[in-house]
Amino acid sequence: MKLVLGAMLMLAAALVQVTWASQLEIAGTFPNVVLIVVIGLTWTQGVRAGLPWGCAGGILLDLNAPGPLGLHAFALLCGAYVTGFWARNLDRESPLHPLGAVAVSTLLYSLVLIGADRVLGLPIPPFAIVVQLTMAASLYNAALMPLALIAVRRATSGLHWEPAAP
Amino acid sequence: MLALAVISQQSWAAGARGTAKSVLAPLEAQMMSIASSVEQATAIFGDIATLRGENQRLNAENQDLRRRLAELDAAAYDNKELRQALDFQRTFGHRTAAAEVVGRGPDAFSRTLQIDRGSDDGVRAGMVVVSGAGLVGRVREAGSHGAIVQTLADPQSRANVFLSGSGLQGTMIGGPAALQLQVEHRLGSVASKGEWAITSGVGGGYPRGLVVGDVVSVTHSDAATTDAAFVDWVNDPATLSLVIVVLDFSPS
Repeated sequence: MKLVLGAMLMLAAALVQVTWASQLEIAGTFPNVVLIVVIGLTWTQGVRAGLPWGCAGGILLDLNAPGPLGLHAFALLCGAYVTGFWARNLDRESPLHPLGAVAVSTLLYSLVLIGADRVLGLPIPPFAIVVQLTMAASLYNAALMPLALIAVRRATSGLHWEPAAP
Repeated sequence: MLALAVISQQSWAAGARGTAKSVLAPLEAQMMSIASSVEQATAIFGDIATLRGENQRLNAENQDLRRRLAELDAAAYDNKELRQALDFQRTFGHRTAAAEVVGRGPDAFSRTLQIDRGSDDGVRAGMVVVSGAGLVGRVREAGSHGAIVQTLADPQSRANVFLSGSGLQGTMIGGPAALQLQVEHRLGSVASKGEWAITSGVGGGYPRGLVVGDVVSVTHSDAATTDAAFVDWVNDPATLSLVIVVLDFSPS
C-alpha cells in the first residue's frame, strides 16, 4: 500500500511538474512540485520515507531533463537529507520550519544541480541568472509549502514509514 | 546517483538513455490533453471559451503577421534571395516533421521542451526546431519516441543573428526573462528598438533567415565593443504546443 501510494504520488508530482507547472511561471521560475512533495513527505513521515521517494522522483525528473541520468535524484536526496536532519532536531509542528526547510532544500538542490553540471563538464548558466532563479524558486516553493503539507498529510494519513518525532 | 550520471553520459549509453527518456512521453501527452480538457471544461462559465478561442486565433494571426512583417523587413534589407531564404520550407524544400510538445524541462535552469517525435521519426540531436512564428531551438537529445529540445530561452543557447533594419550582426544569448543580444559596433549604424532579429547563418548553427524576435531595448556605449539589447522572442515556451523539426539541415 505504502509503495503504491508513494509511487503514484511521485509519478503524479513529476508529471504535473513537467507538463503544467511551467504555466505558473513567476520571475523566471516555476514551482518544483517533486521537491515540495519530497520535502513534505520527509517532514511528515521522516527521512527514511523521504530519501527513497526523493530518489524515485528525481529519476522521473531526469527522464525529462537534458544530460545524464541521476542529477535531479542526487539533488533531491541532498534536500531530503537536510530536511530530515532539520525535522529531527527542531519543532516538527511549527508552521515556519517547513517553509525554511523547503527554501534551504531548494537552494541546495540548485547548487547541487549546477555543481554536478560543472563537475561533469556540462554547460552552466551565468552566475547572475543562477542566483536570480534560485532565490525566486526558494521563495516560490516556500510559499506553496503549507498547501503541500496539508495535501501530503491527507494523502499519507494512517501510513507511517517511520515513527514521527514526539 | 553520481555514478549513474557518469555512466549515462557515456557515448555507448546514449541509446539506452534516449529510450529511457522517451518512456514518459505518452503519459505526458495524456497529461497535456487532460490539461487542455480541464481548461475547456472550466471555460464553460460565460463566454470564456469563445473569447479564449478567439484570442488564440487572433494570437496566431498576430504571430503570422509579425512573421510576415519580419520577412518584409528582411527583404527590404537583403533583397529577394533573403526573402526566399526566410520561407525555407517552400523555397528550399526542407524536409520537416511536425511534433507535439508533451512536456517541459523540470527546472528553470534548462529551458527545454519534450516532443513526441524521436529517432524513429528521423529526429536526431542537433536538428533545428521552428514554429509558425519563428525559431524555437535545437534538438538536444533524441530517444526512439521522443526528443528533448533546447529552446532559445535556455541560458546556454546561442544564435548568430542580424537586425532587419540596420543590418548589424550580433549574438543572441538565452535568458529566463528576455533574450539578450550583443550587437557589433559599426560606424554609421546603431541598433534601434523595433528591428527584427533574424538568424544570419554565420557559424552554420542555424539556417539563415529564421525570425527570432524584435528588439525591445538597446543600451549603446561608445566605450564598449558591442551594444547590449534585449529581444522579445516570437515564441512563448509556456504556450507552445506544436513545433516543426527541420530534418535535413545539418549544423556545421
